[in-house]
Amino acid sequence: MSTIEARKITKRFGDFVAVKDADLSVAAGEVVCLLGPSGCGKTTTLRMIAGLERVTSGDIVIGGKRMNDLSPEKRDIAMVFQFYALYPALSVGENIAMPLHYEKISKPDRDKRVRRVAEILHLTEVLDRMPGQVSEGEKQRIAVARAIVREPNCFLFDEPLSRLDVELRHSMRGQIKEVLSNLSKATVIVTHDQLEALTMADRIAIMRDGIIEQIGTPHQVFAKPANVFVASFIGTPQMNLVKGKLEKVSGAKATIQFGGERVELEVNPAVGSLKPSEVTLGIRPRAFTPVSAGAKDTILATAELIEPMGAETLVHARTPDESDIRVVVPRDVKFKIGEKLHLRADPTQTHIFGEDGKAVRA
Amino acid sequence: MTSVALSPPAPDFKTIAPDNWKLAIVVGLVVSVLATLILPANAAFWVVGAMAAMVAASFVVNAYRRHYYGGLLVSPAIAVLFVMNIFPLVWSLGLSFFAYQSNQQNIRFVGLRNYQQLLTNDLKAPELWANLTNTAMFVVLTVAAQMIVGFLLAVLFAKQFPLRKYLLILVLTPMMLSVVAVGVFFSYYYDPTFGLISQVIKAWGGEQFILMSNKTGAVAGIVFADAWMWSPFVMLLVLAGLVSVPKYLYEAAAIDRVSGWRRFWTITFPYIRGLLMLALLFRTIEAFKMADLVILLTKGGNDTMTISYHVIRIANEQNKTSEGAALSYLLLFVVIVLTNLYLYIANRRSQGA
Amino acid sequence: MANTISIWERLGFRKASGVGEAGWGHTLFAAIISLIYFLPVLIIILTSFKLQTEALAVPPKLLPTTLFGLIPEQYVFSPTLENFTSVFSRAYVAGGAAESTGFDRFFFNSIFIASTSVLLALVIGTLAAYGFSRYPLKGNDTYLFIILTTRMLPAIVVIIPVILMFRISGLAGSYLGIIFLYTAFNLPFTIWMMKSFFDELSPDVEDAARLDGSSDAKVFFKICLPQVLAGLAATFVFGLILTWNEFLFALLLTGVDTRTVPVAMNQAVAGGGIGVLWGLLAAIETLFLIPVFLVTFFLQNHLLRGVTFGTVKR
Repeated sequence: MSTIEARKITKRFGDFVAVKDADLSVAAGEVVCLLGPSGCGKTTTLRMIAGLERVTSGDIVIGGKRMNDLSPEKRDIAMVFQFYALYPALSVGENIAMPLHYEKISKPDRDKRVRRVAEILHLTEVLDRMPGQVSEGEKQRIAVARAIVREPNCFLFDEPLSRLDVELRHSMRGQIKEVLSNLSKATVIVTHDQLEALTMADRIAIMRDGIIEQIGTPHQVFAKPANVFVASFIGTPQMNLVKGKLEKVSGAKATIQFGGERVELEVNPAVGSLKPSEVTLGIRPRAFTPVSAGAKDTILATAELIEPMGAETLVHARTPDESDIRVVVPRDVKFKIGEKLHLRADPTQTHIFGEDGKAVRA
Repeated sequence: MTSVALSPPAPDFKTIAPDNWKLAIVVGLVVSVLATLILPANAAFWVVGAMAAMVAASFVVNAYRRHYYGGLLVSPAIAVLFVMNIFPLVWSLGLSFFAYQSNQQNIRFVGLRNYQQLLTNDLKAPELWANLTNTAMFVVLTVAAQMIVGFLLAVLFAKQFPLRKYLLILVLTPMMLSVVAVGVFFSYYYDPTFGLISQVIKAWGGEQFILMSNKTGAVAGIVFADAWMWSPFVMLLVLAGLVSVPKYLYEAAAIDRVSGWRRFWTITFPYIRGLLMLALLFRTIEAFKMADLVILLTKGGNDTMTISYHVIRIANEQNKTSEGAALSYLLLFVVIVLTNLYLYIANRRSQGA
Repeated sequence: MANTISIWERLGFRKASGVGEAGWGHTLFAAIISLIYFLPVLIIILTSFKLQTEALAVPPKLLPTTLFGLIPEQYVFSPTLENFTSVFSRAYVAGGAAESTGFDRFFFNSIFIASTSVLLALVIGTLAAYGFSRYPLKGNDTYLFIILTTRMLPAIVVIIPVILMFRISGLAGSYLGIIFLYTAFNLPFTIWMMKSFFDELSPDVEDAARLDGSSDAKVFFKICLPQVLAGLAATFVFGLILTWNEFLFALLLTGVDTRTVPVAMNQAVAGGGIGVLWGLLAAIETLFLIPVFLVTFFLQNHLLRGVTFGTVKR
């Protein structure tokens, strides 16, 4: 079966390190998303797997075979490019048939396979048109059709949906997911859109500055971010990250001081191993519950801006030490600007990050 | 852009006003024709010049009064082109209907006789016919050589490789040379005694090599020099096409395992087709006009006379002005046909794609 | 991707990686081809350092050095700068008699005629290009096409009446005549080139300036021109090269005093064979080549646009 393994791959362009010691393994039938902000090295990683860039060091292993020195032609992979890379002088049908010429099959067989794929992706009507005469969504499907028309080792997608508008993106996400689940090949998708990654991937690898920060299931990266970056990158609205001073931990209660205020929060028992130090407190906006009166385990903040989001309301509040806090409350909970809020955090969704930015967790 | 409401109304045709360009054209034409018929050539020239200036002035005043800024900006250029290109063109068209030799004073209207003479008698005369076939031969040989060499050079430079920029300049230099330098120094290289080609052949045990001694050699010498000089032009155009192919298409082709041959025809070629046609047009027209290299290398000897050189000779050296004019108009006709043929093909191609 | 580029990469020494890039092997191959292609020019340059006897030597004197003993002595010449000093000293010593080459005059003519006419064409042509670009007339493309065709015309079609015109008006053999002719010769090129540069400017800035009450003249001089300075320079230099190398018009229309270098060179070889001072000619051509070579180097980005009259942009 087809698997993809990247072992400690590094890519340098001159002095610039685009990817550093990235480890990634994709099982047969698994979909892994490389997620990160632009310039984080995710596309370079994908291109190294494809053979479009040479690795500076490390190994690329596809289907159990080391592929470092093989050109893309010899790796037997299919790839969907960010800008689709449709051949402008060929019709849609000829575009989809391009990968089949290698297999030296007869023209009727080739046509049959093209038509079958076109049916799956609803492209039958546009087969005779030129790429310049079809819509953006159709272009995207043509690119996918060209990839799935043959039986490659694995599939690579580079920002497949980035050029589509919001509505198309939504429907294409579902379609691609369905197509991929029927193919059951190792697949890597590069994206900068966390929603895309969370919905399409079996596992997500989050990258920053050429380094894979965390790999895990969508649930894991959301519920247990490994460090401050992942915590801030995944989830909307962004997780609240407040710097504070850990004073003491007794059992599951930690005393943290920020500003002039001291709060006692229920935290992961592993925090007990920390000495008193500067920590970052991470709490998702939806993990707060406003309570009527202040207590030892509540955080005080003043409402500054209120944004109704439909079913919920986003409240921007400010703590006495001038930290911004975002709170999402149900629609029926009403606040006024300038009102003092007492916020209690859900202990299972309270994260403590040490001085090195890594999550402290058992 | 032009505020019609503020512009003064156009003057009536019959009123004498500085911006009445319609009247100026009519008066100018009448006076010019009369002057050409009545006055001696020298005086007529100045009268026609004055009339042209009057028409131009009326255009400018008109454009200024009606705020045609486009017209105003363009007018100096049009004036220069009119004096140095359009007017001579009309003049030489006129000359072609007369019997006139620039070293003699008498001039006689002969109508289409010059053309008739050219198309019936002279074309059958072996000399002129040979000039035409020589020109056709040069066009075919030089353009073919340039297209092939230029294309191969472009392929050589299409990739990115170390020092590419510097090597490219070496190849581009011939195109930027003066044709005189090329002519002069190729005749140096072709010299039978101390020319390098002859010496190399002698060093390999051959005899003294006289390239220019017969027609084949002379043609080869001219074609070689011309192709050497102008292949870089074709290269530059083809190269522009080659580098305009987006890199991701080649990457997609690599992923799709497309063979080199198919990759060239389906991906690369569509990007260079238009530029190849453009190069073909430019070079064909230039080759058709070829005179300078022939003048410099053979002086038309060994049956290498081209039609262009022939016209220069009869018009300038033999003072057969009218015949030269008629012949050059036939040439112009061929160039226009070539240009339009190209445009027709180019348009049909772009519509088909 | 790379935000730091090493000096080697800037110079084009880059390690090959990925599709469409080749390595030093390709460089070697391309270098051999390029050098063969450049050989005729190289020989001209080498000849400019030879004395007459060396230029006509049999067997040929090929190089100024033995390349550490690789080349037999008989193929080696000792380089001299005599040819170069002769070009400007007005006295070339051949067989003892001092003889004026006159090439300082011809160089002056070439420079004066080319630069004046190209400058004139640039002023007139830039105005026209702006007009064509910003105030399109009815049938704009037709006018532009006709202007381009005037450049494509066989020179001989217009040359007969131009010769007659110059004879009648007394312009034959004068600077004014040839400058005026070259101005017309350069105009189509200048208009097409500059129009291609003006067309690339975004009209937003100009519209904004007009809304702010700037006059049309101010918009042109303060906003458009500064943006096309590079284009102006490229057009000027390309026009210079075209005029610099022009031969046919110059041959037929310049007199003894206004002769340009190409015409003078042609006359210097009129006798042909041994009487021609090849070393001197090579020195003249080498000097004549320097500006062209520099242009090719510095205008690489505009080269394509230049040779295709702005019809092809990169």
